[in-house]
Amino acid sequence: MAGDLRTSALRTTVAGLRATRRRRQVLVLTGMVLVVLVAGTGALLMGAAGLTPGQAIAGAVGLGDKGDVFVVQKLRLPRVEAAVVVGAAFGLAGALFQSTLRNPLASPDILGISTGASLGAVTGTLVLGLSGVALSGLAFTGAGTIALLIWVLAWRKGLHSIRFVLVGVGLAYLCASLIAWIMARSQEQEAAAVLTWTVGSVSDIRGEQLALVAAGTLVLAVAVAVVARTQGPLALGDDNARALGVHVDAARVGALLLAVALVALATSAGGPIAFVALVAPAIARRLVNDGGAALAASAATGAALTLVADVVGQHGLLGVAAPVGIVTGLVGAPYLLWLLATTEKRSR
Amino acid sequence: MLTALAALLLVVLASLALGVRDIDPVEVWRALTAPVAGFVDHDVVLDQRLPRTVVGLAAGVALGTAGTLIQGVTRNPIADPGLLGLNSGASLAVVCAVWIFGVTSPIGYVWFAFVGAAAAAAIVFSVGRGQPVRLALVGAAVTALITPLITLVLLRDQQAFNLYRFWSVGSLTGRGLDTVAMLWPFVLVGVVLAAALAHRLNMLALGDDVATALGQRVGTTRALAAVAIVLLAGTATSLAGPVALVGLVVPHAARRLVGTDYRWIMAIGALLGPVMLLTADVLGRLVLPRSELEAGVVAALLGAPVLVAVARGRNVAGA
Repeated sequence: MAGDLRTSALRTTVAGLRATRRRRQVLVLTGMVLVVLVAGTGALLMGAAGLTPGQAIAGAVGLGDKGDVFVVQKLRLPRVEAAVVVGAAFGLAGALFQSTLRNPLASPDILGISTGASLGAVTGTLVLGLSGVALSGLAFTGAGTIALLIWVLAWRKGLHSIRFVLVGVGLAYLCASLIAWIMARSQEQEAAAVLTWTVGSVSDIRGEQLALVAAGTLVLAVAVAVVARTQGPLALGDDNARALGVHVDAARVGALLLAVALVALATSAGGPIAFVALVAPAIARRLVNDGGAALAASAATGAALTLVADVVGQHGLLGVAAPVGIVTGLVGAPYLLWLLATTEKRSR
Repeated sequence: MLTALAALLLVVLASLALGVRDIDPVEVWRALTAPVAGFVDHDVVLDQRLPRTVVGLAAGVALGTAGTLIQGVTRNPIADPGLLGLNSGASLAVVCAVWIFGVTSPIGYVWFAFVGAAAAAAIVFSVGRGQPVRLALVGAAVTALITPLITLVLLRDQQAFNLYRFWSVGSLTGRGLDTVAMLWPFVLVGVVLAAALAHRLNMLALGDDVATALGQRVGTTRALAAVAIVLLAGTATSLAGPVALVGLVVPHAARRLVGTDYRWIMAIGALLGPVMLLTADVLGRLVLPRSELEAGVVAALLGAPVLVAVARGRNVAGA
């Protein structure tokens, strides 16, 4: 009798905790969606052709003045959508990397995958003289090559997270120093022009490319939702996860493959947008604060962060019109630092 | 230990004897013992090879020791001066020195680099409050905050961009003995502190709770380590530019050689740091005919494979 009572009390407690967790997740997600809506609306209204909210909405649905429709549908809306899609992809990828590799620093920036994309782009511009689609292709190839290299070099009877991370960091430094070397050897003007490519931008993603990236991200996100069940046990360590019946290697390989695909996709469109994948999951984890990987919240935070950063950068709030990759760090890092400084609770 | 010492001696000799200009070893010896003023061979040895060897020694010792300390304190195998925000802090200060004050000589921006690194470290350690995971994360966040600021300055100021392009590669040339003469006490104090802390890092490696239970004041250890890290990494970056990979690879290589005792790792790390940096510098002089590759680039080309090899090894920390 007493045992039954205790069990039912335990059940109530667990149910209560679960409800609290879910509430908190919903709260964070709603908050981030609100940020996206506000910043997105702001992005539609601001610019050389100033629009009223009414004109912007009319333009977005294809009504009203032809000029307004063009400005909203062809120029401003795609940019907002691109920032949201690419940001979400980076945020989700970062969360996957960090939870799978059990290292809060593991993100494509630090593992060299983004740096590989930069190296591809810098080589393409300064050494081969490429531009446009060929350049995107080369950035994509750079990211893919580095990911593949990490994989091959870190593989030793399975994929140990520590090996993956170490190899990645080594390759990141290698790429970074090659970039620095190429920049030091090239003409002043050319080197300055390539500076923006090393940080990423969402200003030129529209039409088919946007649709492709959006669809790809969506498919990958669904796949992530499927494999997400194993992320919780993996966070407890390989042995515990195994004891809980998780195929550790398969789960890790699957999650990392998805993360790499997300990064490569987003990078091919927007370039290696700096620090979103590092900062967004860190913020999301702290906001959700349930010890989990906070995958959905990371994607939402990534989208919000990238969009806000693009609005700030585009409208010259820093004194110069800056590509989004320069601003993401400026917007995200102080918030993350503030979160880190104010959360007393010991983090994972 | 002896092997590491021998390797260091060998690489120092190589650094004095080898270069774009062919100089007879006998002349190198004479240049050091009985220099003849105006004799080109002697001038090259004394004015170019000797300073960069000394700079490489000082910066290498500092980087090797700082890297070991950082990994010990953060308990994160990928932590290094770069990830703790020290390099980006130094870079921002250098870029601002050029942009705002028009400083262009190495001796002028050495102090800016030092202060920048120290300021970044101060933020990282105060917000990180010594908890390993948090420390690493705060370091990354500070880097994420500072890197775009650097880019913004570079986009605005052509002169700063030009100087930064060459500074950020990382090189041992162009810094005179006067710079080392100014900064060597920092390296000395840092190394002594690091040596004194090595035993405490061993306990810290078992976790904060165990270290506390063993009678250690964990907070004090971290604070002292922070001071040493700032002194060492700050000096290294001021001297050679942001050559972060050395600080990352050396502790891993040392761990591979001598196991997990930080007293040994620290000693070997202090020797392997200059070995790696000077090897990179010497190779950089030799690979291209009539021109040089900067030490920073070669260090990355050398360091990445070493890191991969260490990562693939059986005893990699945490695997």
